[in-house]
Amino acid sequence: MAAFSRYWSLILNPFLQTLEMVFFSTLFAVILGLPIGVLLQITSPEDQGGIVPKRILNSVLSRVVNILRSFPFIILLIVIMPLSRVIVGTAIGTTAAIIPLSIAAAPFVARIIETALKEVDPGVVQAAKAMGSTNFQIIWKVLLPEALPSLISGITLTVINLIGYSAMAGAIGGGGLGDLAIRYGYQRFQSDVLFITVVIIILLVEVIQLIGNKLAAHVIAKR
Amino acid sequence: MRIRLEHVSKNYGALHAVEDVSLEIPSNEVYGVIGKSGAGKSTLVRLISLLERPDSGEIYYDDKRVDNLPKKELIQERRKIGMIFQNFNLFSSRTALENIEYPMEICHMDRKTSKKKANELLSLVGLEGRGDAPISTLSGGQKQRIAIARALAVDPNILFCDEATSALDPQTTRAILALIKEIQKKMNLTVVMITHQMEVVRDACTRVAVLDQGKIVERGDAREVFANPQTAVTKDFLFNISNMKNSIIRWSNEGGHYTLRFRGLKTQEPIISEVAKATGAVFNIRAAGVNIVSGEEHGIMILDIGPDAETAKSAVDKFEKLGVKVEEEMDGSV
Repeated sequence: MAAFSRYWSLILNPFLQTLEMVFFSTLFAVILGLPIGVLLQITSPEDQGGIVPKRILNSVLSRVVNILRSFPFIILLIVIMPLSRVIVGTAIGTTAAIIPLSIAAAPFVARIIETALKEVDPGVVQAAKAMGSTNFQIIWKVLLPEALPSLISGITLTVINLIGYSAMAGAIGGGGLGDLAIRYGYQRFQSDVLFITVVIIILLVEVIQLIGNKLAAHVIAKR
Repeated sequence: MRIRLEHVSKNYGALHAVEDVSLEIPSNEVYGVIGKSGAGKSTLVRLISLLERPDSGEIYYDDKRVDNLPKKELIQERRKIGMIFQNFNLFSSRTALENIEYPMEICHMDRKTSKKKANELLSLVGLEGRGDAPISTLSGGQKQRIAIARALAVDPNILFCDEATSALDPQTTRAILALIKEIQKKMNLTVVMITHQMEVVRDACTRVAVLDQGKIVERGDAREVFANPQTAVTKDFLFNISNMKNSIIRWSNEGGHYTLRFRGLKTQEPIISEVAKATGAVFNIRAAGVNIVSGEEHGIMILDIGPDAETAKSAVDKFEKLGVKVEEEMDGSV
């Protein structure tokens, strides 16, 4: 019991920091990635379901998203430090780590949303158009609701990725479970802490995957 | 509402999908446009329903030109059109009732009114009480009924049916066509039916235009066109329909030299024996049958006439005098 409470006091704070980082960076990544993803899809060529095809805008946007996605996260962490300083006043700590995490995940979210929207039956979009929907109505009332199950699965994937990324944020003093594992497990050779941390991360991923699957299944079951 | 097309063309690269089509679709009628796949039907319906702009030519609804409207007005104009599709194109994210509400929702009609209206339409199409059903639980026929209700939600003047029955079995097709005809009368709609199925034109349309390779090759009163087909495409359609419905019975696999087409009361008269008596011709009947087109009987008979060419010729003259259309196969060696 004493051992448990020792681990507990050691792990609780980093655990909450991980949750904080993952929650807020998912939120901001979706806020940033959603409009980009929607824009990517609606500006794509007509035969790919684009409702306002814009060739140049689409290829520029696509290029930018690809570049951001191919950036190694650990490099992005350092490159983005000045930006974090501007936005949250510091480049170090859990709150500061949310900035690079959001920026790293946003292009991923954009692609996931683009792919999900591409799967929407073009006939349904045509019907909506024939009924006199504005583009905004097509996006908001047709594309996004029709793609909802794929969107849920995609966002679940993003959350899981962000758990992995947030472990790296320890490198800039972001705290969290990854930081704990490195400091105690690696630098102080406390392999028990390392082990428990990894188990907690695995459980966290499992739980989130489970919730995501249940949510998507629930939406599909109602259709 | 009357629809008028003047010299409308649409190309996709080198493909002339629709070429110089002029067409007048009268108000308050079921008008059929029939063509094989690739004939340009889909493009034509996308042009008439304002989903696409023609490369050249003009489209009028009554006397209003609609093909060159600015985006905002175009959207307003589309809101007065109802359209149904081959694959129904219902929103799976919405229940049956919410699907019917959609067109009203995008016009910002208040929720209460639109719900009431949607429920009325639901019973109009015979699906009372199924409003809460998810789309995936409905059969093809039910889906098309919901789609029809959705199309009617905005009190349209025009209903476009783009291959609306092509995904349905024959029995459901008949039920849907009956529903469309009933609604057409009730709501004074102009219905445009785009199809590749001759049965659809036969059962539902008063007028028809035959589309082939982007051009209209034949048009007019549906009964007229069927009784007296002028082009190979139309004849092909007529032949297909007969085979499909098994209403033609073939005794022999060899094609006959002459095709006789009877109309209306002629199908009940003993014309063959009359002609035989008058000319001394003998007949070898290869195939024969009767079709009902828009409530009128159409007979078809494929036969050889003997014993010699001269007698055959006088027999043909006699047939035509009696009001029977005779077509002679040209490739025969006789």
